[in-house]
Amino acid sequence: MRTKKWKWSYMLLFTTLLIGSLLMFVPYLWMILTSFKSNSEILTASNHLLPQEPTLSGYKKVLGEVPFFRWFLNSLSTSAIVTIGAMFTSALAGYIFAKFRFRGKRLLFVVILATMMVPFQIVMVPTYIIISKLNLVNDLSAIVIPYLVSAFGVFLAKQFIEAIPNELIEAARMDGASEFRTFWSLVLPQIKPALSALAIFSFMAAWNNYLWPLIILNEESKMTVPLALVFFNGQNVVNYNVVMSAAVLIMIPVVIIFLIFQKQFIKGLTMTGFK
Amino acid sequence: MSKQQVSERRFIFLSLTPIVLLFLVFSVIPIGIGTVLMLFDYSPLSSSVPFAGLKHIRELLSDEMFYKSLRVTFTFVAVAIPANIAFTLLIAIGINKIRGRFWKNSFRTMFFLPAIAPLAGSAVIWTTMFNADSGVVNMALGMLGLPSVDWLTDPSTALLSIIIMTLWADVGYNIVLFMAGLDSIPESLYEAAELDGASPWHVFWSITLPMLSRTMLFVFIMTSISYFQMFPQFQIMTKGGPLYETYVLALNIYDQAFTYMNMSYASAMAFVMLIIILVLTLIQMRIGRSQWEH
Repeated sequence: MRTKKWKWSYMLLFTTLLIGSLLMFVPYLWMILTSFKSNSEILTASNHLLPQEPTLSGYKKVLGEVPFFRWFLNSLSTSAIVTIGAMFTSALAGYIFAKFRFRGKRLLFVVILATMMVPFQIVMVPTYIIISKLNLVNDLSAIVIPYLVSAFGVFLAKQFIEAIPNELIEAARMDGASEFRTFWSLVLPQIKPALSALAIFSFMAAWNNYLWPLIILNEESKMTVPLALVFFNGQNVVNYNVVMSAAVLIMIPVVIIFLIFQKQFIKGLTMTGFK
Repeated sequence: MSKQQVSERRFIFLSLTPIVLLFLVFSVIPIGIGTVLMLFDYSPLSSSVPFAGLKHIRELLSDEMFYKSLRVTFTFVAVAIPANIAFTLLIAIGINKIRGRFWKNSFRTMFFLPAIAPLAGSAVIWTTMFNADSGVVNMALGMLGLPSVDWLTDPSTALLSIIIMTLWADVGYNIVLFMAGLDSIPESLYEAAELDGASPWHVFWSITLPMLSRTMLFVFIMTSISYFQMFPQFQIMTKGGPLYETYVLALNIYDQAFTYMNMSYASAMAFVMLIIILVLTLIQMRIGRSQWEH
């Protein structure tokens, strides 16, 4: 067994994957190293990967001269509300689709599923029109309200709730629990894995969303972090170290959250692909 | 109606109404408007919305830029999707062969990390990496003694650069999906093949691929839907240039709608995109279904 374990082909496979995954990491390394360089060092074509005179000037500029904290909070608060909202509406609608009968149920569910295939380009102009009719252009709620109901989330929750035995729900009703109470204290705990997967997806999607905020938010104080990054990058004189410092500050929290919740995330991803 | 039924009805009505309302206003109605807007002359500045008939469709058919962006989109998709699937499948098979939980998980994490980063942020980073004078890519080429390349400003390499960046940013999802698909293939099939003395190549074609067809179908459909709509990297890294060589449909639609405010015209283009995605999805489902029957 031992000799087989160290076969050449296995070594080759292992080395290839190792090199591949190190290459995957290069952009992150580049981002971090560049964020500690001065702008002039970045612009002078040199062959040094490592900063020759490490400086924190990029970070100082990001944290001191622009409302970075504000942008961070904009992103954090809107993403959090979208996440909680989408979890709640998905679970509730999923429960009703899975365990109740009413007229038009099938049609409604098919319509919800069908919307998942429609490209955003089709809805972005009409949604812009609706949002401006509601006077919400340049308002942070414009990047929250359209995402409170997630077709994907309803689908996911329905699949999981269908697996809960009907007898369990009947028993709760027999005990005199109200419909909402049954949902809240019986159904919700049962679908925790699906909900935590949905939570991670919704949060990431909201946090990373670029196109819709770009369309609907154009005041500096309303920007979200992806917009802020691009804002730095699009200035007449680009301060690359500022851009990179901002990138580090935006990427690192996402990476940390991912590393903490990695297990649920991967599980959720595979679950949604095969249910 | 019994008391139970009454309370059931009330529960359904009270919970579903706000959800359906939100869904109608921000999903169904926009899709409805989005598919008919091209038949009208909508302008955010004017209060009337006159009927325009097929005017915008005619404009579209004689618009060089539209054809150009269609070509660019199809080139991007035709290269990036197969490359993505081939890479992710190979890497997934490779990682699945790794013994020891620690390394398996570490490799998966490393390949997945870029997928969670904001695409806009990754695009900004790659813009500096591809910089002709100070980027790390040319730095590496220089160390190998190769001439430097104007990655994002040379019309012949700009799209390729964005494809490379997109693959980096996006392979994680499909690797994870393929790994799960591979895990669900019963070990006994492989053992039987080994007893028959089948070559690794044969095992791949006659066991791994057929057993992965469901995963493959899902991955193909999801990747196609998302790649046709790709936007941030094109807008950030090249703004569609040089010489419109990276001017994908998504960017063209955005420009028409929100830079030139030709919202009806943009909707006509978006409609074309919808049709393309629908047709492709249907074809893929048809192929997928016929494969299952075998």
